Amino acid sequence: MTRLSGGLIDRSKPLNFTFNGKSYRGFEGDTLASALLANGVQLMGRSFKYHRPRGVVAAGSEEPNAMVELRTGARQEPNTRATMAELYDGLSARSQNHMGPLNRDLLAVNDLMSPFFAAGFYYKTFMWPKAFWEKLYEPAIRKAAGLGSLSMLPDPDQYDKGFLHCDLLIVGAGAAGLAAALTAGRAGAEVILADEDFSLGGRLTMESDTLDEAEAAAWIASVKAELESLPNVRIMTRTTVFGVYDHGIFGAVERVADHLKEPGAKVRQTLWRITAKRAVLAAGATERHIPFADNDRPGVMMAGAMRAYANRWAASPVKRDGDAIAIFTNGDDGHRTAMDLIAKGANVLGVIDARAGAEALGDYKLFAGATVTGTKGRLGLTSIEITRNGTSEWHNVGALGVAGGWNPNVHLASHHRGRPVWDDRLLAFVPSADGPKGLIPAGAAAGKGGTAEALADGMRAAIEALSEIDVTASEIALPKAENAASDQAAFWHVPGDKRAWVDFQNDVTVKDIALAHKENMKPVEHLKRWTTLGMATDQGKTSNISALAVMAELTGKSIPETGTTIFRPPYTGVSLSVLGGGDTGNNFRPSRLTPTHHWAEKLGAEFVEVGQWMRAQYFPRQGETHWRQAVDREVLAVRAGVGICDVTTLGKVDVQGADAGEFLNRVYANMMGTLAVGKVRYGLMLREDGHLYDDGTCARLFEDHYVVTTTTANAGLVYRQMEFFHQCVWPELDVQLISTTDAWAQIAVAGPKSRELLSRIVDEFDISNEGFPFMGCAALTICGGLRARLFRISFSGELAYEVAVPARYGQALMERLMQEGADLGVTPYGTEALGVLRIEKGHAAGAELNGQTTAQMLGLGKMVSMKKDSVGAVMSRRGGLAEDKRRLVGLKPIDGQQQIMAGSHLFTRGTAQETGTDQGWVTSSCYSPHLKSYIALGYLEEGDTRIGEQITAANPLEGKTLMAEVVSAHFVDPEGGRLRD
Amino acid sequence: MIDYATNAVTDLTPITALGGTVARSESFGALSLSENAGLGLASLSLRKSAEKGQEAPQVFGLPLPGVGKATAMGAYGAFWTGRDQWMIEAQGKGEVDFAAMLKSEAPDCSVTEQTDGFVAFEIASANGAGPLEALMAKLVNLDPKAFGPGQVTRTGLEHMTVFLIRRAEDRLAVIGMRTLAGSLWHALSVAARRLEA
Repeated sequence: MTRLSGGLIDRSKPLNFTFNGKSYRGFEGDTLASALLANGVQLMGRSFKYHRPRGVVAAGSEEPNAMVELRTGARQEPNTRATMAELYDGLSARSQNHMGPLNRDLLAVNDLMSPFFAAGFYYKTFMWPKAFWEKLYEPAIRKAAGLGSLSMLPDPDQYDKGFLHCDLLIVGAGAAGLAAALTAGRAGAEVILADEDFSLGGRLTMESDTLDEAEAAAWIASVKAELESLPNVRIMTRTTVFGVYDHGIFGAVERVADHLKEPGAKVRQTLWRITAKRAVLAAGATERHIPFADNDRPGVMMAGAMRAYANRWAASPVKRDGDAIAIFTNGDDGHRTAMDLIAKGANVLGVIDARAGAEALGDYKLFAGATVTGTKGRLGLTSIEITRNGTSEWHNVGALGVAGGWNPNVHLASHHRGRPVWDDRLLAFVPSADGPKGLIPAGAAAGKGGTAEALADGMRAAIEALSEIDVTASEIALPKAENAASDQAAFWHVPGDKRAWVDFQNDVTVKDIALAHKENMKPVEHLKRWTTLGMATDQGKTSNISALAVMAELTGKSIPETGTTIFRPPYTGVSLSVLGGGDTGNNFRPSRLTPTHHWAEKLGAEFVEVGQWMRAQYFPRQGETHWRQAVDREVLAVRAGVGICDVTTLGKVDVQGADAGEFLNRVYANMMGTLAVGKVRYGLMLREDGHLYDDGTCARLFEDHYVVTTTTANAGLVYRQMEFFHQCVWPELDVQLISTTDAWAQIAVAGPKSRELLSRIVDEFDISNEGFPFMGCAALTICGGLRARLFRISFSGELAYEVAVPARYGQALMERLMQEGADLGVTPYGTEALGVLRIEKGHAAGAELNGQTTAQMLGLGKMVSMKKDSVGAVMSRRGGLAEDKRRLVGLKPIDGQQQIMAGSHLFTRGTAQETGTDQGWVTSSCYSPHLKSYIALGYLEEGDTRIGEQITAANPLEGKTLMAEVVSAHFVDPEGGRLRD
Repeated sequence: MIDYATNAVTDLTPITALGGTVARSESFGALSLSENAGLGLASLSLRKSAEKGQEAPQVFGLPLPGVGKATAMGAYGAFWTGRDQWMIEAQGKGEVDFAAMLKSEAPDCSVTEQTDGFVAFEIASANGAGPLEALMAKLVNLDPKAFGPGQVTRTGLEHMTVFLIRRAEDRLAVIGMRTLAGSLWHALSVAARRLEA
């Protein structure tokens, strides 16, 4: 154990966990990384490319090295940052990216091959032979690529989403964030304070600085208590604000149950969309390192992280108590770490400061004007080489802290292409003024990282943000604090021949950057892609700026001249599960159920998804082993007796008003205004470009009251289009539109015995052929007084009706029809039989109205009235469209037992089957039990003049062709006598 | 709960939007969800032919509310749904021809029966606005602070379109498409149940 004294861990709550199968103990308040360090574990993983042994480098979400597979079974999650994984009792983690044990990784052989794996390796190496790429190279690369592994089991957890609104969103709850929250909270503003950490305080929890001459923890606790008491403040810990989107919307993920062994009834994570009038970016800063030879050994870490582990988690970075610790720095900040470690009783070898004039801040050895030029230790640091004035000497150390300066976390400020600006004094990029509107950077994120200045800047930012939305906030009494010394030199890396790592996770070294420079990949965008710098899961948070500095040095330009790195969302990785928002399986999207759904379900119907609808496809009976048996039976039952089918899904639009007839004349291609009350007419709607849009019936129930019926698929689109014309094109017309699709259950009653069946349920209404002829409609009552609508229309070609009742009575009506029609052999039928019936009759449906067809092609060109104007009428007569000679025909295979596949293309017999000789295509196809043959509908060039011709239907996808005879599209009752009887 | 037998105007037995013979109701901590199967709905639209400047009629004694507002008086309520257009609510009139009743109140307007076009779920909190607003935060992108009693809006909820009516600080009506009732109940109940956890 290398546990130090103090810290913000709860030693009364020990927690057991395992890493690579070995048991350890930590405390509540630990992260997996801090607990491993406190147990003397430095080696936590392997690097991506060279499989180099790696230990933890950072103490926050920027961690590039300590990536583990957390949990087991279906909950196993790769690439979990050990620095962000809160310890819980029973936690199980494994290191990743190694073959065999972590300390004897067989793939470490890659490290020996490193001269071959230089920048641009993939682009240069796998060029030839060409045939090898798909079969050999790509599979091999894919196998080696990626960190960690997936369980391949379904995710057992629940995920949630939500929406929040506030006056001020504060991103980060460190010194600046807390001061901002307190200022805004006291002003009465609606405040959301979000932090990815599980506790408030940010760096204040990791430093030894005092506030009001007491430990910072005391001030944090008092602020927390006050904020929690304010009803207008919402504190969201474990919440990462990952992106800034348009209109002041921020994306955030709250890790609701990631700190628990299992979520239980809780959701695991929640995706929040936060709409904020203003936001303060108080996300702090990320420390950078200084690349030097072999700087990637376990035990080498950021000096600020080392300080954080010591102060907050009481964890020493060394494997054994008493091992020496050294600090390598280019500024004052590294000295703070030395001071804090000494205060904790650690054995500090000294501070190696690249500045020749550096001074010690306390009682420790100072190597001024010196650098670290080498390290040793196969699986963990054992010694470092310190070079000063050309003289080198080796020192035994168990850990080395590296302090290369701090980069403000400008990420969110650059999400709207806000390009950060270089600050020569800070030697860092800071957010620019052209970032997302309403996002105000503060504290260390704005380059004001001293404790006192961060507190003051947070308060300033809150007052400024609120003043923009007319909320007056007053200055608050800030705790007494100091700004630590922060002088630093522009010292970016230690030159040398050996490999010096810049990007730890993707194994990018100074040499790789030099090679990229040599190969003219100088722009930062090219550098990134050529070397894969910053493209790992850590997104280069600890490496981007250092790489830019190295490239600047090589090009002889300044850093801002060399390039600027901007960032895209997400700030840290976001799981697809939480982005998906939760529901899976049947609830993945909403389902619309017809009024008779539960009845059909009880009857054992098979259902089919039709858009959002679930429709009964067919109703299998006992003994039927194939769907065709059920469908054939249903079709024949309709043709011979009577069948019933729920057709509620067809769109229904209620059209009222004095100008309703005129309005319908304009949206329908054919005349509709002349329709008599009590009559129904088939109508065609065209798109503005003249193509067919939709078809259906229009019923005139009363003088100024029509009901438009649309196809199921276009119900929403047609209603939307009608509303558009109503509101935007002809607002002067007195017309009112209401969608009533859901309001009425509509049941088709079809077949020669349909009148007999209906006569048993209608109340005192004459439904004789004379009293209620074909294309009649009426509002009436049925079943003892229930209001209903009756339409005498036919999709099947038989004598048929559609009866509509308020939806809640739909199921009872269906049951009543079944009961009343038992002696007539009434048969429920589904969408399959519906399709067969309409193909037999030659009625068009979605396949014929596919957006590329015209009224003429359907043989209904004369329906586009010349006596009036209507949507698309003029365009339907334009050149190119008007001359289209393809016509809807029926097709009957010469061998009736051979199926013509829908989508097959039609060719004149004996011609080559090419695009140039294409004569049309098959739109719909089915087996007709009535004709005992497969049949089809299709569009054929001059089809109306080719009845009787034998043509070829080719299905090149399956390599099949068959011969078919061109026949009338009306296979059944072409004269239409049946539906008029 | 509606007693269909005594209210029946036909010998057919209706079912609720969720497919039951009685309206569904369930509690989740402080929140209760109830299917309001007895709610009669009909839309009312002013005709263009009405004289310019003519005020919207009062129906059942209700003044028709302005943009984004809902009113209620006794068993009747009205909420704005569009320009010169309102939905009129009538508690306990789910089975009768409420549209005909409304038409006789406003014979010069266009009236459309809507009762079975929608399903109404009434959500009530036994613990003030807090639980209700927490539920809203999980379902709709609305600021509860700007959506007080008497407010109405149409918005998206789990890819479904719904009317939301804040009937009181602690009561919210969610009125969605009837055919989506099952999916809407699922969305509401899952969100309410998760708030319990």
